[in-house]
Amino acid sequence: MLIVWVLVSGLIVSGFALQRTLSTSLTLVLSLAILGLAVLGLWGVWTPALSGPELALTPLRSWFVLVLGVVAAMSSWYRFGYRQHDEAATAFWLPIFLVGMLGVIAAQTVWVFMTAWEVMAITSFFLVVSHHDRPGVIKAGFIYLVMSQLSAMAILSGFLLLAAQLHSMHFTVWAAEAKSLPLGMKSWIFGLLGLGFAIKSGVIPFHVWLPRAHPVAPAPVSSLMSGAMIKLGIFGIVQFLLIDLGTTSMVWPIVLLTAGAVSSLLGVLYALMEHDLKRLLAYHSIENIGIILLGLGVMDLGIDWHRPTLTVIGLVAALFHTLNHAIFKSQLFLAAGAVEQHTGTLDMEHLGGLVRTIPAVAIGFVMGSMAISALPPFNGFISEWLTFRGLLSIVSHSPALWAFFALGVALVLGLTGALAGMCFVKASGVIFLGQPRQQVKQAAVPKSMSWPILGLALASLGLGIFPGPMVRIIAGLEPGLSVHATMVLLPLHVLTLAVVLVAAAAGLALLSRFWEAREVPRWACGREAAPSMQFSSSSFTKTVRTTFAFIYQPHRNLARAGRYPRDFPARLVYRGGTTPTWERYLYRPGYRLAWTLSQYSTRIQAGPVRLYLSYLLVTIGIMLLALH
Amino acid sequence: MLWLVQIIGTVLAVALGPLFVGVAQTVKARLQGRKGPSVLQGYWVLAKTWHKETTVPQYSSWVFRLAPSISLAALLVIAAMIPWGDTVPQAWPHNLLAVFFLLALERFWVGLAGMDSAGTFGGLGASRVTTLGTGIEPALLASFGILWVLSGHTSIQPIAPELERMTLGVLPWGLAALSYALVVLAEAGRLPVDNPDTHLELTMMHEATILEYNGRFLAESQVGIAIKLTAIIGLGWVWLGPQLGSPWANLGLRLVEVLLSSAGLGWVESRFAKLRYFQVPTYLAMAAGIGMLAFYLVVSGGIT
Repeated sequence: MLIVWVLVSGLIVSGFALQRTLSTSLTLVLSLAILGLAVLGLWGVWTPALSGPELALTPLRSWFVLVLGVVAAMSSWYRFGYRQHDEAATAFWLPIFLVGMLGVIAAQTVWVFMTAWEVMAITSFFLVVSHHDRPGVIKAGFIYLVMSQLSAMAILSGFLLLAAQLHSMHFTVWAAEAKSLPLGMKSWIFGLLGLGFAIKSGVIPFHVWLPRAHPVAPAPVSSLMSGAMIKLGIFGIVQFLLIDLGTTSMVWPIVLLTAGAVSSLLGVLYALMEHDLKRLLAYHSIENIGIILLGLGVMDLGIDWHRPTLTVIGLVAALFHTLNHAIFKSQLFLAAGAVEQHTGTLDMEHLGGLVRTIPAVAIGFVMGSMAISALPPFNGFISEWLTFRGLLSIVSHSPALWAFFALGVALVLGLTGALAGMCFVKASGVIFLGQPRQQVKQAAVPKSMSWPILGLALASLGLGIFPGPMVRIIAGLEPGLSVHATMVLLPLHVLTLAVVLVAAAAGLALLSRFWEAREVPRWACGREAAPSMQFSSSSFTKTVRTTFAFIYQPHRNLARAGRYPRDFPARLVYRGGTTPTWERYLYRPGYRLAWTLSQYSTRIQAGPVRLYLSYLLVTIGIMLLALH
Repeated sequence: MLWLVQIIGTVLAVALGPLFVGVAQTVKARLQGRKGPSVLQGYWVLAKTWHKETTVPQYSSWVFRLAPSISLAALLVIAAMIPWGDTVPQAWPHNLLAVFFLLALERFWVGLAGMDSAGTFGGLGASRVTTLGTGIEPALLASFGILWVLSGHTSIQPIAPELERMTLGVLPWGLAALSYALVVLAEAGRLPVDNPDTHLELTMMHEATILEYNGRFLAESQVGIAIKLTAIIGLGWVWLGPQLGSPWANLGLRLVEVLLSSAGLGWVESRFAKLRYFQVPTYLAMAAGIGMLAFYLVVSGGIT
């Protein structure tokens, strides 16, 4: 059993945490081994080694192992150059975290799955709080832990419900028999499992942990969490809810599409307001999970309506976007880590002009920005195009209300794409272009940090130009679904499009002799030009803040300070911001309720052991009575 | 044969772009009682700018120098994708969604160049242009609403013949055309959304992003503006306008239609004042709403 060996070796790797180079190398080897497993599983080279009663890799699972392997390998490589506080703790937890994620994907029974899930949740908590001496990190980690546990409980209850219905804890049995469950029962299971997986993926409104936990973690960990870990929620939805359960109530495609539309739109809107680069990227993870959910919604509709074309387009769009997002998001997170190591800050308002000091990272970031904004010829373009195509296929040949709904969702996706483009013009422009806004330190960024970023950039370019093989693999993942997969991408002619585009751009650049230009001072209306005259991150998005004021509910406050503040203010203090709607109106009341309830529970939780023993006794008595 | 029509159509669309802009300017001048420059003025200006010395602002990088070429390349590919005859060769990309994404690519690089000019105006223009883009993209999708429901696919290729067979009545067609026209005004940066003639910082959007450009880079940007106008007006006529039998006749018809539309553009520009910037989202939402209305008329009428 190959998987078991990989899992065990991961635990051994974490034992070498104190030797930096050795431990980093071994983690890289472990990641490459995971990647190897994915290759074996996807191309079916050596399948007997990958199947077993407890752990097995089906083609669909191998796809997610591929996502995990790519991100893990690049993040491990990056760690050779990345300096951080408390190196050994990360080196200890990281291999176990990888093992946990591999275990989740390969699990074949409820017990293995839940154990691996908890290993993943708890190790990632320890990784998040690596910088525990900084303010706010422990609180962020704690919120993350609570949300993880809520997610695990929801999944466990869903699993137990399913297991009780089918009298089996084994996933292969579920795959065979879950389709025959009554629709009402399927809805309960869909709701519980969907809630659990949605929390783990950061779907709005369960996203509050994500923009807190991702930014405080070290860059390779953020990259792994955003690139791989939140995708396991997507894995759960595809495997258990869509493929295993089969036809469900028509409510669920609507729920998936609505959740996807809301997450993608609000995710990108919140991202626009961020000045901290990593928080901005974290909100974009929410947006992209939303786009993946749109693909899954199309797939679910295809299953319910028995339209295999829809099913395949939805599946391909969602899974391809899963891989693509893993690639360009870890690329951007790693670039953010490089920026932090180079300048010592992630606050965009202090940065600027980094393209001259770290050119390789800047190229990687701009390419990643193009990929995440779904611009040709990068991979994000292909998967977002597929999602659009899926939504627009619902528009035709459907009942009128469905057509209207699908067109509305497609418009939201269009709006999301445009906002994402704007957000990354802002991020690239403010951080890397123009004149530096403040003096910051300029530490060197080693090659071992910039190469993984550029490697991922090349991967996203490659997948954008040659998506064919990958699309064919995804369409063949579930044998029951395979429809003429090559037809899915027509009439795009990706290769021609990319070649013509790049050739035209290169030709024009040569024609315009871009290297021949004299540098002159910029125009500042005849005044001395200053760096503070440039647009900052908040002034760039002022227009959006005004246009979408009904969502942001912005507030600002101009206070007078000094000895005689009313008549002779010594200085003016300006504060502005947006209202954290979900925290204020959903989580704050929930938290208060939990607090109040726990006050009541102290009445029966006085502490003495005798009391608890008597509770146990009474419980057993009641159970015996009930069973009698 | 198809290839030949397509290539000649693309070349003509690119070459005649400045002429169409010139026609709009001339019509506008005449309606305002001025004589106005020659319709060929665009070409003279281009020739002059191309031969001038090119400078770049201090603190700008390779992004600033490459952005005009990348934006222009995206617009050229759009122009090449429009079926100027009635069909595109099969092996050529012919996808409507790809047009949207290429427009986004152009906007992205225009924005980056604005940010890279390290001045106030560049950032201001970048912010305004990208914000405008967030309204344009959904409105453009909505104005094509009828198309999605009738054809069920996203290729430009068989749109026209398929629509030809549909007897929809005037109302949905008219609404869709109105919606598309409103979006074209915004996308091409014309009044009442953006004023191509001013250089006052309160009013300009696209002009602000290219304020620091001159010489060859400015020439590229100006060619780009002309091509964009020609291509998106042409695309509108491809699916809303009448079709003739032969590809050559279609090509000729398209060019005449674009010419007439440019004259119409001049008329619109002298009739309407520029909108306040924060009313533009409302304007674009209205365009999207009209497109959705046309869509609703088709869907509810049972035509599928």
